[in-house]
This record gives sequence, structure tokens and C-alpha cells, in this order.
Amino acid sequence: MAGEDIAIVAVAQTPSYRRYEDTEQLLLMTLTNEILEETGLDRHDIDFTIAGSCDYLSGLPFAFVSNVDGFGAWPPVYESHVEMDGAWALFEAYVRLQMGDIDTVLVAGSGKSSPGRPREIFALQSNPYYHAPLGLDPVSLAGMQAGAILEAGKATEADFAEVVSRSRRDGLSNPRAQVAKDVSVDDLLAEPYFAQPLRKHDLPPISDGAAMLLIARGDKARELTDKPVWITGIDHRMESSHPGLRDLSVSASTKIAAEKLGLDGGAFDVAELCVRYSPEEILLKEALGLGAATRINPSGGPLCGHPVMATGLARVCEAARMIREGQAGNALAHAASGAALQQNLVCTLSADVRGVA
Amino acid sequence: MAEFESAHYKLEYPYQRTTGPVTGPFLTALRDGRLIGIKAGDRVLCPPLEFDPDTLEELEPDFVEVGPYGNVVHWTWIAEPTRKHPFQEPFAFATIALEGADTPIVHAVKASSVDVMSRGMRVKAMYREERVGAITDVYFVPEAEAYDQKIAKGKGDVEISQHLISLDYEETFTPTRRRYLEGLKRGVFIGQRSPASGKVYIPSRGYDPIERVPMTEADDVELPKTGTICSYTIITPTAYYGQKETEKYIRASVLLDGSDSPLGQQDIRNIPLDEMRAGMRVKCIFKPEAERDFEGIDNRWGGTGGVIEKWEPTGEPDVPFEVFSEHVY
Repeated sequence: MAGEDIAIVAVAQTPSYRRYEDTEQLLLMTLTNEILEETGLDRHDIDFTIAGSCDYLSGLPFAFVSNVDGFGAWPPVYESHVEMDGAWALFEAYVRLQMGDIDTVLVAGSGKSSPGRPREIFALQSNPYYHAPLGLDPVSLAGMQAGAILEAGKATEADFAEVVSRSRRDGLSNPRAQVAKDVSVDDLLAEPYFAQPLRKHDLPPISDGAAMLLIARGDKARELTDKPVWITGIDHRMESSHPGLRDLSVSASTKIAAEKLGLDGGAFDVAELCVRYSPEEILLKEALGLGAATRINPSGGPLCGHPVMATGLARVCEAARMIREGQAGNALAHAASGAALQQNLVCTLSADVRGVA
Repeated sequence: MAEFESAHYKLEYPYQRTTGPVTGPFLTALRDGRLIGIKAGDRVLCPPLEFDPDTLEELEPDFVEVGPYGNVVHWTWIAEPTRKHPFQEPFAFATIALEGADTPIVHAVKASSVDVMSRGMRVKAMYREERVGAITDVYFVPEAEAYDQKIAKGKGDVEISQHLISLDYEETFTPTRRRYLEGLKRGVFIGQRSPASGKVYIPSRGYDPIERVPMTEADDVELPKTGTICSYTIITPTAYYGQKETEKYIRASVLLDGSDSPLGQQDIRNIPLDEMRAGMRVKCIFKPEAERDFEGIDNRWGGTGGVIEKWEPTGEPDVPFEVFSEHVY
């Protein structure tokens, strides 16, 4: 991408908790302190802070304002907020840095799903006249989408189970995973349906957690770390909020985002995909043109931990970790918002500033 | 102490939405037992939209009747409905291609069993006994399970639709908030002193927000029951959803002696409105232990629930504004 070179210089994530007993602010504060310590920065050295969270999830109007405590509330920070996953906060941060007048942005995503009832809450993001009164929730739409994939002949229920089995096994080596185990496809297929054709294990767990990263412009990034992870592209696209107007057996918006980034299915070492429901992996791989050479969700992905509003940003963090640890030269991170993959963000990362890793 | 496990709270927003020139007639038709779509070029959209989804051109309100029969396109069987679903027993959500419409509608199919569900199955629109001009007035059943209904036409057009958003939350008290609650039960104020700044917070959130330092039980301090009114407001109740007040009343912030964060939202009924002033010295009188009510205390605002009987003026000279000016909110 043309414009300023921008790199991730530090990442931090809390584990995914089934029920975190302290506040969302404390989740964020822990991560802020971790990133400051790692980079040696003072909080006042950070030029801009942006967070993604959801007041409805917290059940408190202006909950996002009290979250600023987690970044250090005094003197006031230069701050912004998106009522979206932190991955979209990263998008805004990236665009903000393109202006060239500031060097560093702290990006966060956080959420506690445990106090509320996510299925009831997220039904409210659907059309207020036609869908929300039906309580049309993301799980139900994921069920319909799974049906559409089966009917299109793109996958079988065993393929869904395969995604779950591999992801939950990979989660065993991720200290931040909430649900991880070694379970066979056959055992999974023996479980009862929950939203047929989905079984409960095709769904993500209910989680509390947060993710954070610090991005910086070229020279500043090199100054702050000897392992900058360069953002070589970022784009997001959205589809209709009317499921009846969409072909649920494809991820059209992911495909457009990939095209806008000029992705030709080229080999990524790793892809961290926001697979909240196992069938989504099949659609995303297809839309992104990912083949056997790319390792999908080595972290275990959202099926192992789904801190809503941080899940997408956590994909970027996990992908960046793989590059920092030398396990990948380049990586793709994907975030999703809305039901049935309505909105999708694609971010490409590389150890090399020109993306030739 | 097991009694302070978690706070339950309900978030409610009663919305009234205008329906407009397209959604309005659709909801009116539903109330009257009919389904209509809107013409968009060569297509018919149901549910009708105000704009052509492809060209984004505004659509003329040119409606045609669709249904009542249709075919299931995609479906999922909801084994465990949420409280917000149209049925509390297992049912299907489906996209349904209605006869006469070119785009499928998403809706609920009430079927006797998952075994009768299949792609392409024929379903029929059925209507609720009580209809209010909402998408929930209608639902679908397998053709074999349909029966004839006589639907009386309602009065007027549906120009406003009512939406009560009502969500329940159950949040475990944080360890810090639990110790604060246990203090209130004993009739004492438990705050925390920051090891970094020395500032005292009550109720503490378990961290010093200025220094970004988490605090522990070792940082707990007991505060006195005396303090200073550092700000207040006289509230004139207006009518709104959930309003219980009818007379003017005072909400004040009290800065307890030795504290740096005022106890906000204190309900004052014993001090005449015209005698209220910032700087006034007050003393907390707790209710008898058996009458203390902790309802409304949560992890967020904190508050003091129904624990305090009143804040009694002590008669001491007022504190000059400069002394507490840092703590006004």
C-alpha cells in the first residue's frame, strides 16, 4: 500500500476467561502496562489511543468512557472509540497515522460477555423493524449460513467438525485459549444439534477478555523494536444487513477486501481468521484464496476464545506474534463483524517492510 | 460472604419508531393478515425496502400482494430458543421465498418437528390472534400444518411501532466491590489508598486510574462517616419511562474526610432545598443493619443503594470552596 510505512511494535492479550471477576478497565490496564514496559515508553509518549468495545455488552451507557481508565485517564488522552471490534479501531489508527503528524497509536479491543446474554444482545444489531423483534441472533444466522454451505455442496458436517477438532487441538498450545482439547471428528459428530446443522462445539465460547497493540510510523517503529511487523495492507467491506439479499454460501465482502489489497491467493505462511462458527472457515479460505501452504489459526482461533470486541484484534495480535517469533515471514489476519460474516476486515502483515518476506 | 455474589441489573430502552412510507404499509398489511412486497424494477422485494438494494435508487411505494405460500430456502432448527425468539419451544428460522416475491424473507417456521423441515418445503403464513403491526404478527407453518384463519382488518395505518429493548445482566461483584459492600453491611466505609499516588478512592474500582496501578486488599482503608457536600443538584422530575419521583429532590456528592473521590448520587431528603449548599458539613447516619438494602450497588457506579438513612448537617462551619475544588463533580 502506498503511504506511510506502519508497523506493529508490541502486542498484548489477556487470556479468554469464561468469567473474569474484575473489571474491563483492569483487563485493559494490565495490557497498557505490559506494552509500556515492553517498549520502554511512558504513557505520555503515546500520541493517540483508540478502543473498540460495546456498551450493550457491558449493559451501561457510556461504558466506553470508563474504559479510558485502562489507558491512564489523567491528564486526558487524545482518544477515539469505535462501537466495533478492536480490529476496526486498528483500521482507524492506520488511517490516522497516514496523516503523518503523529507517530504512535495504542489500539485496544475489550469486552466482557459473561454478565449479559450475548444472543439477546446481538439480535439488536439487526434491522429494528424486520429482524430484531424476532430475536434474530448471530447463532441462528450462523445456522442458516451453515445450511446454505451444505446445500451449495461446499462442505459436509464432517468438514465443520474437522475445523473444530483442529482448532481446539491447536488451542492446547495457546496459553490464552479458554476451550482447548484433543477431540476427534467422530466424537464431535456424535454430539446433538444446537442450531442444526450446527452443534454446540461449532460455536465459540462465551468469553471475557481484551487485546491491545501499539502501532508506529516507520522510523519510530524501528526505534521502538528490532522486530517490527509491517502492516502491508488493510481493507474492510460490508454486505447488506438483510440476509435475504445475500448469498450466504459465499463471503462476498471478504473477497472484495482481498481484491482491493491485490491478494492473488499468494502464499501466506499463516492466516488468523475470525472463525466464530466453524463453517465460516470454509467460506473465508475460499474468499481469500488460501491453500494448503497457509496454516490456518495456529492459535486455535475464536473457537478457543471469543472475547467479543477483541476477537478480531486478537487475530492481528496472534498473526503478529507468529512473525515476531520467527514462525512466519508473512501472515494474514481477518476480523468479522455482524451476523453471518456480514462485514469483514483483512489485514496483511510482513516481517519485511515491502512485504517480500 | 455469600450474599454479595453478583449484581443483577436490567437495561431498558422503550423506543417508538416511525415506520415511514414503505415499512408502514407492510406492517399495516401484516396487522390485517396480508403480506406485501415492493416493486423494484423487474423484481418484487419482500420485506419491502425503501431503496433498491442494487442501484440504491429510492423506490416508489408501489406494492403487490405476495404469499401467503412460500418455499423454504435455508433453515436452521433452534433447539434452545432465547427469550426473545417468537416461540419458546424448538422452531426453525428460515429464509422463505414467498410466492410473488423475488427476495426471500427471514422468519420463523413453527413446525411440529425438525423432521418435517427440508429445503424447498412449502410453508404458509399464519397470523397471531393479537396483532399490533409488527413483524411478529406473522409466522410460518408447514403447509400440512396450516389451517384457515379469519383475520379482522385493523383500524388506521401503522405509523409508529413500539420497541421495548429489555436486557438482563448478572455480573459477579469484583473482589474490591465485595469488600466495600461488606463494609456497608457493617456500617463502615471501605475505600482504597493508592500505593502510587496516596489518593484515596471510594468506592474504589480496584485500581488507581491516574497512576494505572491495580490495588489489593492491603490497600483498603476505613474512612470516617463525616464529610463535606462538594456538589449537588436539585432535580425536578419529568415524566419518562420508569420515573417514580414526583417532587423535587436533591442529589449530592459527599467528599468523605480523608477521601479524594466523592460519593456521588447521594439522595438528600432531610435538608430543605433552599438550605442546601456546597461546603456544608454532614455526617452519615446508616439505617439499622437489618434494614440496609444493597439493591442497585454494582461494579460500575458503586453507589450506596439503600444503606444510608440520611446525611445529617453537623452544624460545623462550612468548608471553603478552595479546599474541595479539586473534587467537584
